This record gives sequence, C-alpha cells and structure tokens, in this order.
Amino acid sequence: MESFRCKGLSKSFDGVRAIADLDIEFPSSEITSIIGPNGAGKTTLINLLTGFVRPDVGRCFLGEHDITRLAPDRIARLGVARTFQDLKLILQVPVLDNMMLARPHQAGETLIGALLRIGVAKEEMRNRDEAIRLLRLVGLEEKATDLAGELSYGQQKLLTLACCLATEAQILLLDEPVAGVHPDMADKILDLMRTLRDEGKLILFIEHDISAVRRIADHVIVLDHGKVRAQGPPREVLERPEIMEAYLA
Amino acid sequence: MELRRSDLDYLLHILILIGIYAILAMSLDLLVGHTGLLSVAHAAFYGLGAYSAALLSVHFGIPFVLSVILGMLTAILASLIFSLPSLRLHDDYFVIATFAFQMILFGIFNNWTGMTRGPFGIPGIPPPSILGLPIRSRIAFVFLVVVFAVLCFQIVSRISMSPFGRVLRGIREDETFTRALGKNTVRFKVLIFAVSAALAASAGCLYAQYLSFIAPTSFTVMESILVISMVVIGGAGSRWGPIVGAIVLVTLPEALRFVGLPNDVAANLRQIAYGGGLVTMMMFRPQGLIGKYGFGR
Amino acid sequence: MVSQLLLNGLIAGSVYALVAVSFSLIYRTVRFFHFAHGGIYTAGAYLCFTFYSLLRFPLFLAVICAVLLTAVLGAGMDILIYRPMRARHVSSLVLLIVSLGLLIISQNIVSLVFGDATKTLRTFIAQAHDIGGARITSVQMIIIAVSAAVCALTWLLMQFSYFGRLMRAVANDRELSRAVGVRNDRVIMLVFALGSALAAGAAILVSFDTDMTPTIGFGALFMGVVAAIIGGIDSMPGAALGAVFVGLVQQLAAWKLPTEWQDAIVFVILIGFLVLRPQGLLGKRRIGAETI
Repeated sequence: MESFRCKGLSKSFDGVRAIADLDIEFPSSEITSIIGPNGAGKTTLINLLTGFVRPDVGRCFLGEHDITRLAPDRIARLGVARTFQDLKLILQVPVLDNMMLARPHQAGETLIGALLRIGVAKEEMRNRDEAIRLLRLVGLEEKATDLAGELSYGQQKLLTLACCLATEAQILLLDEPVAGVHPDMADKILDLMRTLRDEGKLILFIEHDISAVRRIADHVIVLDHGKVRAQGPPREVLERPEIMEAYLA
Repeated sequence: MELRRSDLDYLLHILILIGIYAILAMSLDLLVGHTGLLSVAHAAFYGLGAYSAALLSVHFGIPFVLSVILGMLTAILASLIFSLPSLRLHDDYFVIATFAFQMILFGIFNNWTGMTRGPFGIPGIPPPSILGLPIRSRIAFVFLVVVFAVLCFQIVSRISMSPFGRVLRGIREDETFTRALGKNTVRFKVLIFAVSAALAASAGCLYAQYLSFIAPTSFTVMESILVISMVVIGGAGSRWGPIVGAIVLVTLPEALRFVGLPNDVAANLRQIAYGGGLVTMMMFRPQGLIGKYGFGR
Repeated sequence: MVSQLLLNGLIAGSVYALVAVSFSLIYRTVRFFHFAHGGIYTAGAYLCFTFYSLLRFPLFLAVICAVLLTAVLGAGMDILIYRPMRARHVSSLVLLIVSLGLLIISQNIVSLVFGDATKTLRTFIAQAHDIGGARITSVQMIIIAVSAAVCALTWLLMQFSYFGRLMRAVANDRELSRAVGVRNDRVIMLVFALGSALAAGAAILVSFDTDMTPTIGFGALFMGVVAAIIGGIDSMPGAALGAVFVGLVQQLAAWKLPTEWQDAIVFVILIGFLVLRPQGLLGKRRIGAETI
C-alpha cells in the first residue's frame, strides 16, 4: 500500500495562517484521527490533501506521485475518497443512484459508450450488484430505492461512507463521520471503520467526539492553529493534561 | 419554396417550425435541464449551422447530409474554442461568457460582409438534396425534419438514461460531490456542450435550406432566450418537456396571427408572451409543464 | 490619430462606466446578474424622449422625471418580482432566468409603444472643438463630465454615507446585517432604485449623441457587464476603470481590425480575465477559483 504524506504544507486565507508548515506521514492500514479546536485547520488539511484547495507552499505525496497540484477528481481517481462536513449527497435521487455515480471506470460514462450502448447494460448490472453489496455491508440495503433525501441524518452519513467505498478508494478521509449522529448509528459507523482498516484501508478522520477517537484511532494528531501540537497513540496523546486543557478551554 | 395560401401548406409549415424548434429545445435542455448550465449562446450555434449550410450549398452545391455534418463540425469546433476556457467558471459567470460569445458570433454574422453579406443575408439557398434528389415539396420536408427530430430525441434519450447522463445530473445537483467521486466534470461539460452545439447547428441547416434565405436577425440573443423559454415552459430535464415547450411556443403565437393584428405588433406580443412565460414559470412552477428539474429552487 | 482614438475611447468609456457602476452596485448587493438592467437602461432613454419630445417638458425637467420614473421602475421590479422570490430562497440561476424574461418584456413594451424606428434626443447642434489634434463635440464633453461626476458622487455616497454603509453591510453578509437590525429588503429596493437611476442617466447621455432604438439595452448591458467584471465586480472604481479600459481597447480594435472582430477582442479579454484574474483589475474577493 502506498504511503500518503505531506511535506512543508502551508496555506493562508486572507492573511490568516490556516496550515503552517505541516510534515505528516499518515500510517498505512491504520486509523488516524485528527483533533483540535475549531479553526485549527482540520478541514483545510483534508481540502489540501484532496486537491480542493491549493497550498501556498509544500507538497502532498501518494507513494511516489506528487499530487499537490492535481485536480480533485484526479486525486479521487487515484484512490483517495473523502466526505464533507456538510454532508454532500444527491438528495433528489435514490440511494442506489448515489452509489452508482460513485462507481469508477464506467464505459457508459463516455459519450460513445452512452450513445452506442455497447456492453453498458452488463456493466450497469455489475455495478448495481456491487453497490447493493456495499449497501448491505453498511446496513442500508432496504433503503436502496428510497431518495437519499428521505434518509435520516445518520443514515445519510452512512451513505456518504458507502459512496466512498463504492469508489474503490484505499484511502478514506472522513470529515466528522459521527458528529450529530445517534449513538447506535455512531457505533455502527465506528465498527465499520474498524472493519475497513482491517481490510487494509488507510483511514483519516476528523472528530470532536473524543470517545470515538479513543475507541478506534490507532494514531492521533492534534492540530492547533495549523500546527501539529502532538501526535502518537491515543492513550499517550489523550492523557496529556495540556491537550485536555486545549479541549476544555 | 413558395409560401402558398393553402391551409394544408400552412399546417405543414407550422409542423416544420415545431420540428426545428424541438431540436433546438431538446439540445439546449441537454445543457440547461440535464447539466444545469444556462447558455444564452444557443442561437449562435443555430446560426453557425445555418450559415454553414447556406454557404456550402450556395457555393458548392453539396449533398444535404454532408452539409449537415460540416455544419455540426463547425459548431463543435466553435464550442470547443469557447468552452475550454469558460467551463471552469461558476454558474453566473459562465452565463456571462455565453452572452459574450453570442454577441461575438452575431457580430460576425452581421459584419463579416465578405462572407455572410452582413445584414442583407444569404438568399437563394437551394433546397436540400438527399441522394441526388432535391426535396422541394413541403410534405417531404416535414418527413426530413421529423427524421432529424427523432434522431435528436434518440441522442438526448440515450445520453440522459446512460451513466453519462447520471454524471450530468450529478454535476447539476452537486458538482463538488461529483468531482470528489472521481468524475472529471470539466470533460463532461465540454462534451455535452459540444453535442448541444452540434445538434443546434443541425437545426440551423434544416432552417436555412427550408427558408432558402437567412439573415443575422434570426440568430440574436432574443432567439437564444426564446429557446430557453421553450425549455423552461415545457419542462427542463425531461425528454418530452422541450418538445412540449416547442409546440406551445410555436403554435400559441401563431394563433395571434388569426386575431388580425399587424405583423410587428404580433411579433412584440409574441415576445412579451415568451418573457412573461419565463417569469411566470420561474415564479410559480420552475420545473415547467412536465419537467423534472426545478433549477435548484 | 492616436489622440482621437484615446478621446473616443474616453467618451465611450465614460458611458460604459456609468452602466458598469450601476450594474455592479446592484450585483454586489443581490448577488445575481440582473439582466433586466438592459431594459431599464432602454426605458430611461425612451422616458426622457417621452417627456421631452412628446410632452414638451423643458430638457432639464424631462431628464429629472425620466431618471426618477426609471428608478421607480427598477425598484418596482424588485418589490414585485425579485423580493418574493428571494423570500423563497431560490437559486441565483432562477433569478437570472427571471431577469432574462423581464428584459424581453421591457424591450418589447418599448418596441410596441414607440416602434422600432430610431428616435433621437439630439437636439443640440453639436459644436465641435479641437483638443490636441482630436475633435470632440460639446455634447461629448458633457457626457464625459457628467459621467465622471456622477460616478464620483456615487462612490462618495457608497464610501461615506449611512446608506452606503447599509448597502455594504447587506452586500457582505445578509444574515449578519439582518441580525443587527438592517431592513435588508428596504436597502435592496433602494439599491435597485439608485442603480436604475444611474442606468437611465447613462442612456440619456448616450442618446444626446447617438440614436435610440429599442435594442440599445443589450449592447449597453453587455459592455457594462464586461467592464464591471474586468474592472472588478467588487470594486466601484474598478468598474469605472474597466469601462475606460474597454472603451480604449474597442477604439484600438476599430483602428486595426475589421469591424466584425471588434467585439471578439472584448470577448477574448473578458474570457482572459474570467479565467486568469476573476476578481478583475481592482477586485479583492477571489471568485470562481476555489471549489470549497
């Protein structure tokens, strides 16, 4: 599995430093959690890593590939999927359509393929089967034909995770995967993340819920004012009084 | 083709116009209703097709199918020149860019007198010849238009119901999410813009060789907005909506003619009706009569 | 020769400046492209024609009445059409389409009432003067002077007056301004009134120099929008600067290029700005570049 890291990453918005000279190597096949107070730069970091925002200085690497200036869809195609803080989904279409949209390498997405329809039906069936398999994995199978907008908030969060899986990405960057979600659903999502890690995926997630971090993170990075304050296994990092201060403050 | 005062002829004339506008509306809907990209430049591509067909058939007398193909290629080329820099722009700014493009092309139609004879237009366009036979009768032309309209419908249908169409709708509803899933949305937009332009150009070829005379005044911003009206009123994002829109907006104003108003007054009232239709629909029923897309109400 | 080009560019630019300033004033506040502004522009010129040539008002009074009535029209458009739609939080695309409809309606009403033949407000004998080898008529000098004065006054109003601050508050953050007690809808209506008045002024000035037809709104709108974007849609001095820039470039293009390509140059420059520097010459906000 390829390494995923950034070097010397910096980004300012209107003169305010959001990210300051970050050097991080995200461990493969582990769950890394990024925590920190609001405005610490956590979402900006995800945006930088996935190409939605360009850094002022620094580079991001996927293996040997310099992905710093690549378009976000390009980075996604290289196997890096992400979710958004404001829960992006196509709400007006069925759950299954969202999943099908996420499927990669579709011949039916070329113009010729769409017009001539050669082999597209078969491919659609295969993708549909895989989409339903993934929906079953996350427990949303019965909702496949419901409109995504009809799902509960927690179910929608689960769906965004399922869509990431549908892209066949090996690296998942999740922005607050369990925030605002019913505890039972949160358990489901966290267990799922653990399963995915066991399958070899690299998972990076932002969270404010420390218990979630404690439960599943293999590695914790504390970000504050765009700098790494501390990093290490959760037991170590979360016990340190100054870290807890930063949170309770 | 002479316009004879016979009821059947008139009816056939209306059918031909409906067919041509249906093609224009369907092709614009690919952009507006399926992908969520508003363009005010559709008349420019319509005009490119018309002028290509006119010039090619007047100067070289080539078969119709060939002139259509060449007209479509011209439109595709123009669309690429425009879309590659412009499709990265956000919604509103993209519309401005299409507005500018439309003004430019109209300027070319109207001012490049060497090629287009400017405001005087191009007369004496020969009727289309299919396999060596010129199509002179109105009924035969109706068939020709219907064939083109059906082909256009097929193309729109296939695109809409394919994975390609699914991505277009993704772009329409949430482009960021669609990109995050690994879709190169710029590529899709460039392609659909080119398809839309090519289909509009084909309508232009039909128009030129039907009327046997074209002038720049048929290809203004107003004409673009008229086609937008058809899409909006009939219903955006659906396969039949634009056709309904074309039927409504071609036939209803023709009814005005029977009220006996002077021609220019009728023309103004017709356009006021289009504008009124746009405003009313957007205020009360953005998805149009039978459409599926409410423009992100 | 060059000085004539510069002068012509300045004359055209002054008019574009007024249109650009009026357009950007409205855009900054409501954040959608109010295309019907072109119809308002046309209405301004024709209303002046009505008051002056048809109702025989003295010129000064005719201008004032036309400007005021156009302001009312613009405000009316907002109150009757845009405001209820704003309340329903429709997307800016919907508002844009509505404004296209309003543009068509207004242009055709003018055409119905006044006919398509050209009308004129050119009642003065254009006295030509010579400045550094270039010819300029007194009417054209008035155009430059009035336009510059009005733009400057508007800028002062925006920067230093209470209304200006209200407008900027609504423009920057509508939620916040409402939270601190600003009556957003009132401010927006007044902005439409002011913007429409400025557009009427521009149309009337132009009509002193060139003929009027019902379609003048399109060309003016096009130029105004381009100037505003090139200059920086968030900056009023930018809009004026962009306008002069566009005017000059057009004149240079007219000199060197055949007529059919003149607008093309403006288009290319517009696209260039939109792609490379979307905030324009003097704008600050970054638009269109970053996705989130």
